[in-house]
Amino acid sequence: MRPLALAGVLAVAVGLLAALDRGIAAAISPTSAVVTLIGVLGVVQGVRYANARRDRRRLLTDPGEPERRAPAAVPGSDLDERIARVASPAPGGYRDRRDLRDRVREVAVDAVARDRNCSPEAAATAVDDGTWSDDPVAAAFFDTRTAYPLRVRLSAGVRGRSNYWYGLRAAIDEIERVEGGAP
Amino acid sequence: MSDPGDAAVASESDAATLDEAEAGAPERSERAGPNAADADATGTESDAAESAGDAAERAGDAAESAGDAAERAGDAAERASETPTDRERRREVATDRWLGIAGAALALVGLGVLVRQPSLVLSGAVGVGYAVYARAGDAPTPTLSVTRSVSDEAPAPGDEVRVTVRAENVGETALPDLRLVDGVPPGLAVVDGPARVATALRPGTAVTFEYTVRAARGDHEWEPLTAVTRDAAGARERTTVLDAPTAIACTPELSAGGDLPLRGLTTVHHGRVPTDVGGAGVEFHATREYRRGDPLKRIDWNRRARTGELSTVELREERSATVVLLVDARESAYVAADPDAETAVEASVAAAGQAFSALLDGGDRVGIAALSPLDCWLPPGSGTVHAARGRETLATDPALAPTPSDERFYRSLWLRRFRRRLPADAQVLFFTPLVDDTAATLARRIDAHGHLVTVLSPDSTTTETAGQRLTTFERRQRLRSLRSAGIRALEWGDDSFPVAVAAATRRWSR
Repeated sequence: MRPLALAGVLAVAVGLLAALDRGIAAAISPTSAVVTLIGVLGVVQGVRYANARRDRRRLLTDPGEPERRAPAAVPGSDLDERIARVASPAPGGYRDRRDLRDRVREVAVDAVARDRNCSPEAAATAVDDGTWSDDPVAAAFFDTRTAYPLRVRLSAGVRGRSNYWYGLRAAIDEIERVEGGAP
Repeated sequence: MSDPGDAAVASESDAATLDEAEAGAPERSERAGPNAADADATGTESDAAESAGDAAERAGDAAESAGDAAERAGDAAERASETPTDRERRREVATDRWLGIAGAALALVGLGVLVRQPSLVLSGAVGVGYAVYARAGDAPTPTLSVTRSVSDEAPAPGDEVRVTVRAENVGETALPDLRLVDGVPPGLAVVDGPARVATALRPGTAVTFEYTVRAARGDHEWEPLTAVTRDAAGARERTTVLDAPTAIACTPELSAGGDLPLRGLTTVHHGRVPTDVGGAGVEFHATREYRRGDPLKRIDWNRRARTGELSTVELREERSATVVLLVDARESAYVAADPDAETAVEASVAAAGQAFSALLDGGDRVGIAALSPLDCWLPPGSGTVHAARGRETLATDPALAPTPSDERFYRSLWLRRFRRRLPADAQVLFFTPLVDDTAATLARRIDAHGHLVTVLSPDSTTTETAGQRLTTFERRQRLRSLRSAGIRALEWGDDSFPVAVAAATRRWSR
């Protein structure tokens, strides 16, 4: 950048001197080549400067929406954000997945214990070995030894989601069924 | 301008000055008039006007004061009271509005030279003018006198309150592009008109804008007004906040409702809570052998006729209770099934208000506390003064504000303080949406300390997404586990609190 700046300063200095001393001006012959060169230089530099505007967004103060009342949080929206994070098939988010699975498991154990009128321990065993549900997807969500059905894995691959996401939704559907209807 | 003497001096100036002023005035008003927001078109001119300097400004002032005499006197008096509002500069940025204009001009000149077209070179020169225009001038710091007035400072919930904001430029510089955005309290919704205005203000001129808010429970304090100023070209932008304190207090009337059956923890005073203590009352409790001095009307004459023994009927004593209404107002309790709906805290406070009235009417001693990072405690009491205090606390206590506090909540500290304050014979009505485990745990712990707890839970859950459904299941589970731990729990959703209480009361044993 520095040589360019130096060339610019020199050019301006020569221009000023030429304006003051006609002799220097007469020394620079205004041939077609020189004029064309100056024109090309002007266009190239101009386009370079104008290009700075590209990909630059105008900075404006955003005063927000004071007219709207502060929105209330919807219960479960934080969970939805976490579910969205684990929906992608990318690895990672292990802790999020484990926490979510634990929370769903707790609810499932409670629902199964009341539905079957059995002890929480028996319900926990049923949930862990997959016998709590007829839905293989919901069963595979808690039982890590069982693989998800092929259709789920295919669907997850095509739609770019994780198997975990399908399992979670199936488990929640199944809990709703066990609980006996929509909450 | 703020000194009335200025106006007086100006009005006494000689005719020549006035003539000069009148000649200057139309030009000025055209440049810095209300259309100056559209700075693209008139900006070059107004820059020139600014550079015309103090002389033009003085002329403008003189022209203004040369107006109608009565108006002038009024203005002067008004200006005397107009002092600049306290302001705080926030930030100044280049908006990049004219970024690249110099490059475009240079490219145009270069192209003109290349194709040997003088007209193109000339048009490039116009671009150079714009580039200079964009660099000249700075976003002024506004010196405004802002007054905000409300049509009603103590409205009832649901009332519409008209808010009028007047901002006068009491500084020496013109504001060619001024945007004012009012700091409407976060707990209030604007129902008519935007709470903002875009205009241009010469020194001494004012702008007024109005909007309407719908009043909601609580103390609502306006936040500072934000002023965004730009230079005439819109190339630089400055944000300033102006502090104009205004507040409204909306205190709902307390209506008695939800005749809540209390649990059997009572004081020694007579009241209406049936106890397991035999004595004077209405409802049968037990029979015991006759003791000397028992009143004749309490002798079981049927038994005397059957067996010949004297026995006395004991009735359930009815005593008054000490009740503390505990409202969950932690940040997690500010939830609603819809972002624009009333939060669970509002539902809890409304229900607590109904319970407060009903219990006071029944002769019980009632207090109020909040499960919140901010301290809120009204000791149990009775009487009309206490009723007024309770109404005030529920309406305007900062701990029960319509929007959550930013402070951090420490559970164990709160519990220790609450237990220290709670009278030994007090039972607790705990209003909470139960969307997290903390509320359920606290209910169990308070109950375990001997203060019988009744949990009253507004249902704010919804079931549209997986996360919301899971939260709903968890809340249900908390309610069930509370009930199985012997704590009374009641929830209400769409139906009103009194209806839910009436339905639940049938299930509850004493």
